[in-house]
Amino acid sequence: MVRILAALIIGAVLAVGASAAVVNVAAPTAEAPPNQPLYNYGNR
Amino acid sequence: MTVVRRLAPALLGVALAVLALGPALGPGFVLRYDMVFVPDPPILPDTGGFPRAVPSDLVMALLSRVVPAQLVQKAVLVGIFVLAATGAAALVPKGTLAKLAAAAFYGWNIYLAQRLLLGQWALLLGVAALPWAIKALAPGSGRAAWWWLPLALLPAAVGGFQAMLVSALALLPVAAFVRRLPAALLWLALLSLPWLVPALAAQAVTDPVGVDAFAARADGPFGVLGSLLAGGGIWNAEAGVPGQDDWWQATARLLLAVAGLAGFVRLGRSKERPAWWTGLAVASAAGLVIAALGPLVLEQLIALWPGFGPLRDGQVYVAPMVLAVAVGLSSLPVPRPLVIVAPLLVLPTFALGAFGRLDAVRYPGDWRAVQRIVNEDSAPGALLTLPWSAYRAHAWNEHRVILDPATKLFDRRVVWNDGLRIGMADGRVLVLDVEDPLARKVGEQLGRNVLDESTIRYVLLPASENTFLTDDPAWRPVFQGRELLLLRR
Repeated sequence: MVRILAALIIGAVLAVGASAAVVNVAAPTAEAPPNQPLYNYGNR
Repeated sequence: MTVVRRLAPALLGVALAVLALGPALGPGFVLRYDMVFVPDPPILPDTGGFPRAVPSDLVMALLSRVVPAQLVQKAVLVGIFVLAATGAAALVPKGTLAKLAAAAFYGWNIYLAQRLLLGQWALLLGVAALPWAIKALAPGSGRAAWWWLPLALLPAAVGGFQAMLVSALALLPVAAFVRRLPAALLWLALLSLPWLVPALAAQAVTDPVGVDAFAARADGPFGVLGSLLAGGGIWNAEAGVPGQDDWWQATARLLLAVAGLAGFVRLGRSKERPAWWTGLAVASAAGLVIAALGPLVLEQLIALWPGFGPLRDGQVYVAPMVLAVAVGLSSLPVPRPLVIVAPLLVLPTFALGAFGRLDAVRYPGDWRAVQRIVNEDSAPGALLTLPWSAYRAHAWNEHRVILDPATKLFDRRVVWNDGLRIGMADGRVLVLDVEDPLARKVGEQLGRNVLDESTIRYVLLPASENTFLTDDPAWRPVFQGRELLLLRR
């Protein structure tokens, strides 16, 4: 019973956090086009 | 019911693939960083620098003779998730939900996400098949037939050098502890020949400067070690999932990985400890050490012998640890449904092509037009692709950075600048030495604005950057479109 309660709480925390993360990412400030400078393989 | 249980990991793998790839499964090609598939790719031996796309490009070209290249690409991408999920599940001895717990993490983790966003599908083929290869080695798995190990290693063999090196790191310790080292060595060596022979024959060099550029980096608030422990830490900041460095996501990822490692230790102490457990534990620790400490010694090692070059992108070697976490999660005394959904909840922004970072696009008609012109020409001579830099960010690909598609499009030698440019955190741009000897020579000629007539027959340029040799009447435009300009001598 304690394990199930703990799992429910952890699940609820994860679900709320995941929702917040998704809402945050889906907000209008999306990824800027990574073309500055244009020809780098990548940036650290 | 039994059939459903047996198929459950595969179905979960398909579901994860659909959720992660999302828009990338639509019509068109998925192009991002090193993941460049082209229509009707040529069947050509790899030439030039270090054979990084060997034999992966050749196998894809052969498959594209049977099935359209974009379908081949989608099959590979979905196959990675299915292989990973089913393989991790196969390492868990019993319990459908326990198997699904391992499958869910191994098919949905930040290692897979970051490497996919860097376009390293060939590496991921090997990583996905890793649990199958481990299972094939372990005694008592019911897979004792001699052909099972080479079959399980086949995806890594197709993937090429990085996939095989990661497989070797995981398999050799496992083989040593289950006393099957000769078989493992034999098949790893044989299946490495397609890239090993050209690698030894190539006159490519490895620039020690790359050690700094490709070292693991922190992708959250827990530093490099915390990132690596969670399975992340890729060198490229642009290969991350959206929001990966938020404290909530980073903390949740790290806690889940630590829980998985605790489960793995617990499994090792139990009576049900699998034969491969010790080997996988050693491989996980070794991978973590290479990723975390490699940069301290690699520069000197690469200066001594370029063969140490593949170790410079050390984060790839945490793959065995990711598998250990997956198996460990399945043995935790926690309600399984929570463990199955936890990987998705701690990395929610991997969904829908990492929120659009992976998508399917169509090549503008110019690319097909120049491909046709060049491939119908039987006269010898290479194609030079400009501007003199390997990566592009086309508007038609929504400015995602990709390796120049011209490097894979033509049925003749393509000369391109394989000296990579990496933007460093302090604002410097590291420029690595060009690996391909011919590209080095052509690069020097370009610097003097003189091009050797005997080597180059075509020059391909973006139509908007037509500034090269246009005063020389010897170079005639044979195609001028909105995107591309093709010159012939």
